[in-house]
Amino acid sequence: MDSEALLDCVTSLSCIVTQTSTGLIVGSLLFLVATGLTLIFGVLGIVNFAHGSLYMLGAYIALSAFRITDSFILAAVAGALGVGLFSLFFERFFMRRVYGADVLMQLLVCYAFILILDDAVKIIWGSEFQSMGMPAYFQEPPVFIAGGVIPVFYIYLIGISASIGVGLWLLLSKTKIGKIVRAAAVNPSMTSALGLNTSLIFAGVFAFGGALAGLAGALAAPVRSMSPGMGFSILIESFIVTVIGGMGSVSGALVGALLIGLIRSFGSIGFPYFIEGIMFIAMAIILVVKPSGLMGKETR
Amino acid sequence: MKKRSQAVASQQRRQVIKGSVAALGLASIGLPSISLAQNKPIRIGMPTILSGRVAMLGESSRNAAIMGVEAFNAAGGLNGRMVELVIRDSKGRPDEAARVTRELVNSDGCDMILDAEASSGAFAVHEVARDLGFLVIHTCSETSSLTADPKMRIPNGFRAARQGVHDAIVGGEYAGGVAKEKGLNRWMSISPDYSYGLDTTAEFFEYLKYFNKDVEVVNSVWPKLFQADYSEPITRLLQGKPQAIYSCLWGGDLTSFIDQASIYGLMKDRQFFGVNMADYAVLTAIKAVPPNIHSGNRYLKSIPKTAQNAAWCDAYVAKFKTMPLNWSWENAVGIDFMLAAIKQANGTDTAKMSEALKGMTIKSPFGTDGTITMRASDHTIIDYAIAWGDLTTKEPYMAKPNLGNWKTVLELEKLWMKSKGYIS
Amino acid sequence: MTAGSFSREALIAAIVLAVLILIPIFSDSSAAVDFGIRLAAFAVFATSLNMLVGFGGMVSFGHALYFGAGAYSFGLIMQHFQLPIPLAFVLAVCFCATVAAVVGAICVRLKEIYFAFLTLAFQMLFHSIIISWTSLTGGDQGLMGGLPRPPFLGLDLVNPTDLYWFAVVVGVGSLLAMRYILQSPFGYTLRMVRDNPDRAKFLGVNVWRVKLLAFVLAGGFAGVGGIIMALLVSGAFPEFTYWTMSGEAVFMVLMGGVNTFIGPVLGAALLLGFNDIITRVTEHHGLALGAIILLFALVFKHGITDFIVQGWQRITGKKVES
Repeated sequence: MDSEALLDCVTSLSCIVTQTSTGLIVGSLLFLVATGLTLIFGVLGIVNFAHGSLYMLGAYIALSAFRITDSFILAAVAGALGVGLFSLFFERFFMRRVYGADVLMQLLVCYAFILILDDAVKIIWGSEFQSMGMPAYFQEPPVFIAGGVIPVFYIYLIGISASIGVGLWLLLSKTKIGKIVRAAAVNPSMTSALGLNTSLIFAGVFAFGGALAGLAGALAAPVRSMSPGMGFSILIESFIVTVIGGMGSVSGALVGALLIGLIRSFGSIGFPYFIEGIMFIAMAIILVVKPSGLMGKETR
Repeated sequence: MKKRSQAVASQQRRQVIKGSVAALGLASIGLPSISLAQNKPIRIGMPTILSGRVAMLGESSRNAAIMGVEAFNAAGGLNGRMVELVIRDSKGRPDEAARVTRELVNSDGCDMILDAEASSGAFAVHEVARDLGFLVIHTCSETSSLTADPKMRIPNGFRAARQGVHDAIVGGEYAGGVAKEKGLNRWMSISPDYSYGLDTTAEFFEYLKYFNKDVEVVNSVWPKLFQADYSEPITRLLQGKPQAIYSCLWGGDLTSFIDQASIYGLMKDRQFFGVNMADYAVLTAIKAVPPNIHSGNRYLKSIPKTAQNAAWCDAYVAKFKTMPLNWSWENAVGIDFMLAAIKQANGTDTAKMSEALKGMTIKSPFGTDGTITMRASDHTIIDYAIAWGDLTTKEPYMAKPNLGNWKTVLELEKLWMKSKGYIS
Repeated sequence: MTAGSFSREALIAAIVLAVLILIPIFSDSSAAVDFGIRLAAFAVFATSLNMLVGFGGMVSFGHALYFGAGAYSFGLIMQHFQLPIPLAFVLAVCFCATVAAVVGAICVRLKEIYFAFLTLAFQMLFHSIIISWTSLTGGDQGLMGGLPRPPFLGLDLVNPTDLYWFAVVVGVGSLLAMRYILQSPFGYTLRMVRDNPDRAKFLGVNVWRVKLLAFVLAGGFAGVGGIIMALLVSGAFPEFTYWTMSGEAVFMVLMGGVNTFIGPVLGAALLLGFNDIITRVTEHHGLALGAIILLFALVFKHGITDFIVQGWQRITGKKVES
């Protein structure tokens, strides 16, 4: 526990700027992934344990797309769409069959897919780690704010995540589609009785959630090497975020992701050796004190 | 205990019956019954990691071992007996490594084990070898204590891989010189938070400070193994304002770190000492190799700069369509030692092979002077080529290597062993 | 449950035990011996989990905490104290039960998915501790140097056949003990708490205490599985406490059947068998195992024994007592 270093940092503006931006960087990607997870749980009632593998798939699809088109934008779109389509297929033919069943059956189906996807990725792209590399137009020197350092690429990432977050909030609260989705989340049988096609809604939400994870994988690809099995760590982290934020709540995913991001960045100064433990303790505390999460509602 | 002696007795009875039937049957065909046993292939079991994040380790190890076995068989094998490799995937789990090893030895007829497992798996396999008594040569674990610690020593266990402390001595001497030359007194490190990372970094700094008393290690950051995001460690490094950074990050982690560090401008005006940079997987993956990078050789075609090394590398690339990695040369040396032991023992008797291996010197393309020796005292290899130097962006990557002087290495290693209490 | 029906089960157990003990005498397959030892460890581990999942209605994602705790505590005791194995065994199991009591006291009041996640959080916390406390546990490399295994009662556990006999005796004994517990009044109270906790409360049952006791018992027996594993690999590894180990137990329970006692044992045998066969036959074990699991989840939709029991019920019209 290095409280001296932590105090030093908190009293220095440049350090605060740097660490906060680091927290935002970590948090924004985590927000995308966790939002997909929480939406799927909130509307379909499914805990999508395969979510980390969808992230991995997005990264690899983006890698191939980038190698073919040399355009990062196309690569990111390809990653999101590709994973969205795959999620649709996954939901329609596999998850649909275990909707009513025990959470353990859902876990089993998702685990089977994790195994299959890891092997598939290894067969298609090889077992060696791959690196996309930073596209030329992002290779600029970092920006300095009040002495703190922020890379340009990350500013774009935070911007993209923020816009998606705002867009999603608008979609859910202000549009008709959003109302329908929220209705299906609260009471699917009533929604269906009102003549709305709940299975279409479910499929759409699952595809959208998956696409978000795929997009996150694609966005992170320029700076993170990828290898088969890379989905596990993001899966665990996004679970921690969803539990802390509240399962089913998008604003909870935001709060949780930012919290975890900041815990990581400031915690790595104060408690460098025990940062993992701290996150699990935070998760445990929330589960004991307010199981529905910081922004979650008491029901469900 | 009654049950056990009954079991042994009945087993002996069964062996005798089996043997006599076989002898009778063969005698009736007119063949001496010994010749069949002589033509039986020699099976070498190879537990390794072929899936998951470290699958490259298994693939590169397997390729090199296959090359070694094929060459041996092409030259006639052991008096006509061919060698077979039986390879199994432990998926990186030590308990699975132990199970697979037992299966190879007990059920698959393997006479010995070429263990291409990472550190924790190697420790697991080592314990199986201690219990069951077969010959094992570890080829991927670089943890010094596997052979240095007397508690770990067994007469049938050997290691044909670089040792962390050897690498640290050569690296420390080289880096100490560079630090003196460029006035690099303020150092930081970023290494993965697990035994390899912690031990290797500590050893490097110990020898850096030994060779250059002005060096000061200001701080160290320890990201988790396979951590995807390095923003926090990078910003810590930026805040520490070091003149030089050391890292033993490897593989995909090293690539991610370098890619992320470059968008932060971390490497600008700094010297970076990355012991695992000079590895073909990393060198070909990183698109923007920063300037001012120094590394130790993991495997490079040009180190040592001999015709044998170049030929081995070319043969590997021709056969497997990919460049050899660090684990490749280690397994090549391991299989060479194993095959040499079989030849010298004229068979697969564990005691004879182990005796042959102690102190054995073989010709090797990876030796500093063309040979590598299996040290008798602690069953690990010495005289393999270790070099440090600065890196460029294309072959030969390390244009001016500083080859380690083994005399220095051995002297300092002895002091290190004393300090750890491994020798008195 | 009457004394009569239990002694019938004890008789069945004795017969099974006798058959198991005789196997290495009549066959010199060392594969069978190794499989038997591993099956003993995992059958006990999986059945202990099913005490919680199937019989208690408490889905735990963090059960490997006790498996690992058993392996590590036993390993550390043997390495540092050279006690006789039976004594170390008892001490290690007590340690696991104590940890389960502490963790359970916090967890069992939660419901469903939250309970599952909290048990997982505690397990990963334990894992972090094991990995960081390198001086005690060896960190990510596990307990190195092997376990001293002094002979006792004429058994030398370094010898695989002796270890097999020890493992099957301990395994069958633990299963019998768990069966006894689940067929006892406590076991039926546990089932009632699973089916209708409110009703149980009205009948005066202290639900929290029942669940906690089940949790402690399950933890202790999981520790037994861990000890057998530690003896087999002569050490302990942090992978024993990782969530993937919990996942394995969950799959064994699911594939074998949550509603019967013997389900998890069968599931353990199936999963171990699949694993062994697949890794010999193909390099793409992910695809193979994934396909098999999908078959169970989507086609059978139940574990094997549940499938069989349901089929039997449909054919004969009789309801089977689990």
